[in-house]
Amino acid sequence: MGRNAMQPLAKVTPLKPPGRAGAIEVKNVGQVFKTRSQDVVALEDVSLEIKPGRFAVLVGPSGCGKSTLLMMMAGLRQQTSGTITVSGAPMPQPDPDRVGVVFQEPSLFPWLTAEENVEFPLALRGVPKAERRARAQDALKLVGLDGFGRRHPHELSGGMKQRVSIARGLVQDPPVLLMDEPFAALDEQTRMTMGDELLRIWAATGKTVVFVTHSLTEAVYLADEVIVMSARPGRIVDHLQVQLPRPRTYDMLSGDAFGALRDRIWRHIRKSA
Amino acid sequence: MSMRLSAKTLRHLIVIGLIALWELLPRTGLIPELFLPPLSATLMAGWTEAAEYGHALVVTLYEVLVSMAFACGGGILLGAIVGSLPRPRILIMPMVSSLYAVPLVILYPVFTVWLGIGSESKIAFASIYGFLPTMLATAAGIQTIDPQLLLAARSMGATLSQRLVRVIIPAAIPTVLSGLRVGGALVIVGVVVSEMLISSAGIGYLISRYRTILDSPHVFAGVLLVLFMAIAFNAAIRWIERKAAIWQTGTRAGQAADDVSSGVMQPAT
Repeated sequence: MGRNAMQPLAKVTPLKPPGRAGAIEVKNVGQVFKTRSQDVVALEDVSLEIKPGRFAVLVGPSGCGKSTLLMMMAGLRQQTSGTITVSGAPMPQPDPDRVGVVFQEPSLFPWLTAEENVEFPLALRGVPKAERRARAQDALKLVGLDGFGRRHPHELSGGMKQRVSIARGLVQDPPVLLMDEPFAALDEQTRMTMGDELLRIWAATGKTVVFVTHSLTEAVYLADEVIVMSARPGRIVDHLQVQLPRPRTYDMLSGDAFGALRDRIWRHIRKSA
Repeated sequence: MSMRLSAKTLRHLIVIGLIALWELLPRTGLIPELFLPPLSATLMAGWTEAAEYGHALVVTLYEVLVSMAFACGGGILLGAIVGSLPRPRILIMPMVSSLYAVPLVILYPVFTVWLGIGSESKIAFASIYGFLPTMLATAAGIQTIDPQLLLAARSMGATLSQRLVRVIIPAAIPTVLSGLRVGGALVIVGVVVSEMLISSAGIGYLISRYRTILDSPHVFAGVLLVLFMAIAFNAAIRWIERKAAIWQTGTRAGQAADDVSSGVMQPAT
């Protein structure tokens, strides 16, 4: 799929309650893992704020706790100290109405078709079959997989599987989409295409996106703001705004502004690694 | 598609060839009829003693079905418990795995002492014989479920029981079925072998009795019956696998999966 190919867009649903819907606030969050021999401080005094509709990227060296922080925003893990609120309320457990999650592995159920995978969170809540199917169709259309709903995951390429996974994260129309290195397992070309696709989906839906990645280029290319973390204990060392105009294009990658931002992030990471 | 068809045709040709050889080799005298009676003589022997074989088949089938219920039911239940709970797994699995290597047939004489030479001792022996692989496969099937799938289900708000019904069971089904295939086959082996050793009824008993009087056609008629039983069992398991695939994928999608596996659709890039 070409970078500028026109995709049929599903109808854009406006954010539900305006104001705090989609806002993420992290205040003085710490996370300590207890092991048999010692306590490991994974996160220390992490505070950040992401405004609704922003595309925020978390970068940092391996083991800096960026994925842990994301899992806490998703309600899949609880912090040891501090508070996290999403759309103004804490996340004591996962809530697919408020937060959709996309993992590094597409994590699709291999015995279900693409559309059944997308319907899965709706099926859990007893949404009637016809409505489920219609919403799954909309979500698949949004991610550019119209007509592939009947296929099973093993019949889809890596990029297509990750599109299904994104559709599944979006099917309940949550104001926030959390993505944990979603394109890390893809090849370089697919990765670039998927980045552009994600920006298109983001622009069409107005979601708040928090995106974890190892790739500095990917971080600067996608982000409104980049949050840089250091390793052991994980802390925030920089929170920078990416002022590059949108839509982002491939030419920007070689520009001075782009390079300066990437260098700034790299210096932080080199220092802490 | 043409490759698939030709392989199937080839398989049929091999079976037909073997049947023809079974008839021709003894008839031409290449193999003495005592070692291998011609197929026609075997069928005739079975036909003339149809009542006796029919009665033996009923006894054997009864023992096989009851043993399968014990072996598969118990194996799946215990395998599920052992597979999902770490503590019993650590306690039991090493014992079960080493027990699996023991030729359990050595226990059969003990069973006959405890339970007599009737059906009970065969059922006890065959149940234990088939139970082990079913349990090991079920435990493995549950243990090897991708934890990422469970995490994803949790992120979508799945409760514990929803994760069990919608993720753990469907994900474990293929491994459990392969365990059933092995366990069920061992149940048939267990019943027939124990009938051959010490008993007073069943196909194994008939085979054993006719062997002592060197009546080859009647021995092979019994062998044929066991063969048909194994083939029927295999067909039943395939039917269950197909049903399970359809159940797992939702009715029409299951059919679609069959179309796909025959190479109709190709993944796009």
